[in-house]
Amino acid sequence: MLPGVVGLIQATEIIKLILEGGAPLIGRLLLYDAMKMNFKEVRVRKDPECALCGVHPSVTELIDYKAFCDVPLPGAELSEDIDEAEFELSPREFKDAMDQDPSAVLVDVRETYEWDICRIDGAQLMPLSSFDPTTTGLDPETTIYLYCYKGKRSMLALKELKRAGFNKLKNLSGGIDLWAEEVDSDMPQY
Amino acid sequence: MKLNNEEINRYSRHLTLPEVGMAGQLEIKKSRVLMIGAGGLGSPLGMYLGAVGVGKIGLVDFDVVDHTNLHRQIAHTTADEGRPKVESLRDTILAGNPHVEIIEHSGYFNAHNCLAIVKDYDLILDGSDNFPTRFCANDAAFFLKKPLIHGAIFQFEGQVTVFAPHLGGPCYRCLLPEPPPEGAVPT
Repeated sequence: MLPGVVGLIQATEIIKLILEGGAPLIGRLLLYDAMKMNFKEVRVRKDPECALCGVHPSVTELIDYKAFCDVPLPGAELSEDIDEAEFELSPREFKDAMDQDPSAVLVDVRETYEWDICRIDGAQLMPLSSFDPTTTGLDPETTIYLYCYKGKRSMLALKELKRAGFNKLKNLSGGIDLWAEEVDSDMPQY
Repeated sequence: MKLNNEEINRYSRHLTLPEVGMAGQLEIKKSRVLMIGAGGLGSPLGMYLGAVGVGKIGLVDFDVVDHTNLHRQIAHTTADEGRPKVESLRDTILAGNPHVEIIEHSGYFNAHNCLAIVKDYDLILDGSDNFPTRFCANDAAFFLKKPLIHGAIFQFEGQVTVFAPHLGGPCYRCLLPEPPPEGAVPT
């Protein structure tokens, strides 16, 4: 319902601008909190230093917006020397490898609310938000099979484990989402 | 430009409001509004702007209707699953008001096409869900001196403002000079 509230405020502003009536939200940022059910207004001033509309603009034509917004998370660039492909398994390969590995340990690094939606049988939950590779209690001698929703977060956890001295690691490529498509058709997708 | 009898009847509750009136309703009919995004924000935006009689509405979206969209993107119905969102939203708007001209811009909105699209509209609505599109919409609106009506939502909070640097107000980059790290803020 939130998009309805926000979209209709935008629509209202459009009609006011067309009719040149009322006080438009120029220079005012309206914030809506559905849980607290309140509106707040913050003044936004034109920044003389703005790269686009400031006094001495540095952006004078369109740029590559994808590249501009491709800002890595702090820490994400660490250990880029790791060849990710070496650890990736397709859902089918991941399942086959675990089936043939009696000591396989399966770790789900998604958050609790995702775990509550669906999970792979036998997994233990270690959310990435509180993941500490030094206190997992995992055995570096057994192979650790990691998964998340799409395979990105579990690769971050894998890299942290690698740095902490673990070497026998596998990542579910495409995450539980692709697993639901290729291995377990009863698994819901979200 | 004139309203025909059916339109006069349709908009009669506007025509009797002094703040709108016949002159205002004709301004609404003359206006050309570009909507970037035909999803959660675009659904109510398109439905209302169409119903109130905006003359020309441009729709930009590259995506198709997915099952997980239906609970919040109310212009799209279960039967629309798999259809391009611009087509689904177009049909919903026209079902509500056949007097609207809908222009479909099916595809991505980016540096290669944004100026060519934006130049034909008076007002730009940002109902996108990602930072590259928001910055691109901001810069295109700035270069072509069009007001940009910004809306964004995250979890249980939303924000709306109007960027119009050519009218003395700030732009999106005044509010957010640099994009946040990828993944730090879910869109």
